Amino acid sequence: MSNPNLAVELAGLKLKNPVMPASGCFGFGREYSNYYPLSQLGAVVVKATTLEPRLGNPTPRVTEVTAGMLNAIGLANPGVEKVITQELPWLAKQDVPIIVNVAGSTEREYCRVVEEISNSGYAQAIELNVSCPNVKLGGLTFGADPKVLANLIKKVKKVSAVPLFVKLSPNVTDIQDLAIAAEAAGADGLSLINTLIGMQIDIKTRKPVLANKIGGLSGPAIKPVAVRMVYQVAQVVKIPIIGMGGIYSGIDALEFIMAGASAVMVGTANFTNPMACPKIIKEIADFMAAEGIESLEEIRGCAL
Amino acid sequence: MLLDVTGITNLTSNIWELCLSGPFPYQRVQAGQFINILINQGKDHILRRPISIAEVDTNKKSLTIVFRVVGQGTEWLSQRQVGDQLNIIGPLGTGFQLPAKNSKVVVVGGGIGVPPLYQLVKELKQKQITNDLTIILGFRNQADCFWVERFAKLGQVLVATNDGSFGTKGFVTDLLDTKANYEYLYSCGPRGMLQALKNHCQGINIQGYVSLEERMACGVGACYGCVCSSADRKLHYRICKEGPVFNWEEVAL
Repeated sequence: MSNPNLAVELAGLKLKNPVMPASGCFGFGREYSNYYPLSQLGAVVVKATTLEPRLGNPTPRVTEVTAGMLNAIGLANPGVEKVITQELPWLAKQDVPIIVNVAGSTEREYCRVVEEISNSGYAQAIELNVSCPNVKLGGLTFGADPKVLANLIKKVKKVSAVPLFVKLSPNVTDIQDLAIAAEAAGADGLSLINTLIGMQIDIKTRKPVLANKIGGLSGPAIKPVAVRMVYQVAQVVKIPIIGMGGIYSGIDALEFIMAGASAVMVGTANFTNPMACPKIIKEIADFMAAEGIESLEEIRGCAL
Repeated sequence: MLLDVTGITNLTSNIWELCLSGPFPYQRVQAGQFINILINQGKDHILRRPISIAEVDTNKKSLTIVFRVVGQGTEWLSQRQVGDQLNIIGPLGTGFQLPAKNSKVVVVGGGIGVPPLYQLVKELKQKQITNDLTIILGFRNQADCFWVERFAKLGQVLVATNDGSFGTKGFVTDLLDTKANYEYLYSCGPRGMLQALKNHCQGINIQGYVSLEERMACGVGACYGCVCSSADRKLHYRICKEGPVFNWEEVAL
């Protein structure tokens, strides 16, 4: 049996395998380090970081739906200063590349956080969160209009010394337009998809379950939508794509890779099984060995 | 980890007792902690169900949980049979801080909040921490009562039901004598009951510990789904990590 090489390269960022936990589903890494060494992962993508600390939305913030869940956390995070002084130094010792997800409500705020994270030296890449459906200001405001998105990316690129991945929302009319605009504006890569906007109603209280009323749908339920969007975006951009949306197994991850993704992010699956990421890495390796695939480049985008 | 179902008992119309055994760090359990249970291999139900540990027996290597059927996940759980296996994670969270030795303790449980207090009371007796123990249990009515006799073997039990069909008619607060010089109060139950208890005890010198509940996703502190506010509302605590048990002075109830 051949010995498959899972290593991938994303905009100059070398990862030992293509699997990383998705932002918001892994905190800053500490909790899951009780289950396995984080060095097993391709990278760790930490929780969305904003300039000021954010408490987030009222509870209930999460609820289960068929084959998925809705969340409306609302970008709760301790703010960039504490992230840099209290969270990233610990994570930097875990021998795994760090990608910091950055969110904001104004261009100025995005730029300041990106600059501080970039200057901190802890992040090997930044993921620009322009697709959070759960906050009133920012988030999707920047991710729904190609011109607005391009302007933001241009400004942020000027203050970032590390590769910039732009996380796209599925809650748009044409994701290809956004992807093209992001690439043209200088994005080093794209990650997609963020959650789909959803709602669940409690028929006893006759009101939405989530205090925020709407929330982001994630989990196996969204996988076909996500695979389709990665496939569509892969047709129109040359920059690397990180695919995500309901990945629970090696098979799921391979679908995204065959649709054109260079790497994948695993979100909700961590909640179902804290060992989800190591399991997915092993399943990808097993498939590659069984099929005689030496490098993921051989199959990336093969479905296109 | 996989645990074997060794017993399942229906306690009331919608409350079930489930006994589990198998490889589990029983010694590490702190009263008030919970386990997070995978429902039907996570196929349709992708979020685990967090259930408080009601009793742990380190000798027999078994643990007991009690849960109320509130939806499809807990309904599936209620249909487990002896010999089935459950995929669980735990023990999780921060449990009850035990009182100083020989202090005067009152334990107050309401409805499905009653079971986690059992392990606490058992530990207070077994570790001979205190004998001065009052147990107050509240239920809606007689049909909803469970585990009263089980608690009665460990200490004096007072029961309140809303309609008076069992014990005293009224609420747990009606049975809590604020002049009894209790030094510690431990409680688990509906948020409204916990609020009422705190109000009831205002002005008396008592350490109160309450176990809170919220919809959870990860159960390990990563997702910030199940937060509660600090007393000054400036901070959030994760119920699955810093909780579910909090000193009631620390949190906004």
